[in-house]
Amino acid sequence: MLTYVLKRVGQTVLTAFLAVATVFVLLRMAPGDPAANYAPPNPSSEQLEAIRQQFGLDQPIPVQFWTFLQHLFQGDVGTSFFFKRPALDVVLERLPYTITLAVAAIVVTSVVAIPLGVWMARRNNTAPELGANIGTIAGQSMPDFWIGFVLLILFAVNLHWFAPSGFDSATSIILPTLTIAILQIALISRLVRREMVVNLASPYLTVARSRGVSERALTWRYAFANAALPVVTALGTRFAAMLNGVVIVEVVFNWPGVGELVVNALKQRDFPLIQATVLVTVLLALAVQLLVDLLYPLMDPRVRLGEASS
Amino acid sequence: MTTSTNLPGHPQVPNLAEVPGSILGRDSAVTKVLLRRSAAARRARYSTVKIWVGAVCAGVVVIPVVLANVLPLPDPIVGRLSESSLPPFSAGHLLGTDPNGRDLLSRILHGGQTSLVIGFLAIFVSGLFGIVAGAAAGYFGGWVDTIISRLLEAQMALPLLLMLLLVVALFGPSIPVITLVIAFAQWPEPARITRALVLVEREKPYVAAARVLGLPKLSILSRHVVPNILQQVLVVVLLLLAQAVLLESALSFLGAGVQRPYPTWGGIISDGRELFVTGKPWLVTVPGVAIALLVVGVNLVGDGLRDRVRRAKGDQT
Repeated sequence: MLTYVLKRVGQTVLTAFLAVATVFVLLRMAPGDPAANYAPPNPSSEQLEAIRQQFGLDQPIPVQFWTFLQHLFQGDVGTSFFFKRPALDVVLERLPYTITLAVAAIVVTSVVAIPLGVWMARRNNTAPELGANIGTIAGQSMPDFWIGFVLLILFAVNLHWFAPSGFDSATSIILPTLTIAILQIALISRLVRREMVVNLASPYLTVARSRGVSERALTWRYAFANAALPVVTALGTRFAAMLNGVVIVEVVFNWPGVGELVVNALKQRDFPLIQATVLVTVLLALAVQLLVDLLYPLMDPRVRLGEASS
Repeated sequence: MTTSTNLPGHPQVPNLAEVPGSILGRDSAVTKVLLRRSAAARRARYSTVKIWVGAVCAGVVVIPVVLANVLPLPDPIVGRLSESSLPPFSAGHLLGTDPNGRDLLSRILHGGQTSLVIGFLAIFVSGLFGIVAGAAAGYFGGWVDTIISRLLEAQMALPLLLMLLLVVALFGPSIPVITLVIAFAQWPEPARITRALVLVEREKPYVAAARVLGLPKLSILSRHVVPNILQQVLVVVLLLLAQAVLLESALSFLGAGVQRPYPTWGGIISDGRELFVTGKPWLVTVPGVAIALLVVGVNLVGDGLRDRVRRAKGDQT
């Protein structure tokens, strides 16, 4: 078990390193001089050169990367060009907003998608199920930014129920959560349905039914217990992906999370800030994945036994 | 069912209804109504419903988009300022105009051409690459499989949208770049499925037979194994078209699409976003409906086809 965890942690660190390295190199190959964004209007070439020197951009890319790594091992991911503060601080300030949104979205998704998927599996091949099936296909077919705008037009502009954007009060979270949840509910409920259909048709269920187990227990304690593993995996993967920034929804709602931060940082060519965001979010997402994998043995005795025998 | 077939060159097949003990031609306890209500028959019917509904949804968008250059539409790029911000159903402008006086219908249809061209090119590239990589990984195993599987895993961990934005910023927002970026995002899906199917397929007797006959590995894979799984994989690739259109519109929305003044679906919505607050919601809602209709259509057709292919392969789920 310990070797497994250590191996996974090692993989996580390596993946995060590769992601940051890729972003580091791509950023510096991209056209557009960051110095021009932070110089006074109509800068002279001396002024630009001074800014480049200040940011360390006058060095060759391998040298810049080496310096970056040296600082990284001292716990320093650089100073944001735009905010003139340590980039890590800026990211950590924004992170709680993204985490809040992701947690809210994943909770809403689980609460709606699991019962919906189970219902669809139990009613498989009936007209109501066909309706729900087409509904979930529609749910995963709409662009998320468009859903956001339609909700805004409906509830913020016409009905004045919510503030149109930003983070003013506790109710601000409702529309962004809903926007993310619509797509996720569609995806997860279809997965739950697929898994449940297989399990509801398996022989072990017929045996249990012949012993007189109630339909409710058959559905939840027997079939769902077996279908839960891939569903939890999918929920974990989705949650991890959201931590990488629910970029589009954050932009639509001006939500002050890391997704919005990184899009603006990209426009401003704020290299250290982008690197810090990628580093933090990738590490966080990988940590969530690892946690989900470690949950397996708790949820499924077969995984425990498999490990013991191997 | 009860007629005897008498094909030329074939021995006469007896009429089964006349064979003693045959159930054919007799009244059965299983009536036609019961057969029609059976789960299998309903599943078959529902997959047909899905395919038809999907085809209509996609057709409503695709056909006008393809015909956009032929239809009598105003110019999508140069508008008349005297006709700015007209609501839908105005004279001469079915869906209204934007603040620059450009006809929204014309912009949506011309924008759709860009989106569809990018979408089809992207799934062609990602499908081809995914099938080749997945088939190689599944059939050859060993280090080929290790490399391809690791690549697939590594890509899962990357913040994809950010990477795509970066690459578009790097190489410029031209159609080939956006196409390749989308293909890059999509190749894992067909690759994973091809790999899984080939792993099952390569253990079948006909593959062993082909090996015994001394066929080279490459031709067993390309002429015998891949044709047998192609149908299932192509349905997945068709479903990727829906994802490609959504991804293209998301990139345009974030400013990494084909640039102004050329219309794209995401771009039109992005242009409208500052305007809906001022009472021009159609500039946002209408182009989104076009995207949603097309994507729903493609998803429904793909899903219906997948049900059918599964049934043909004997998979009950």
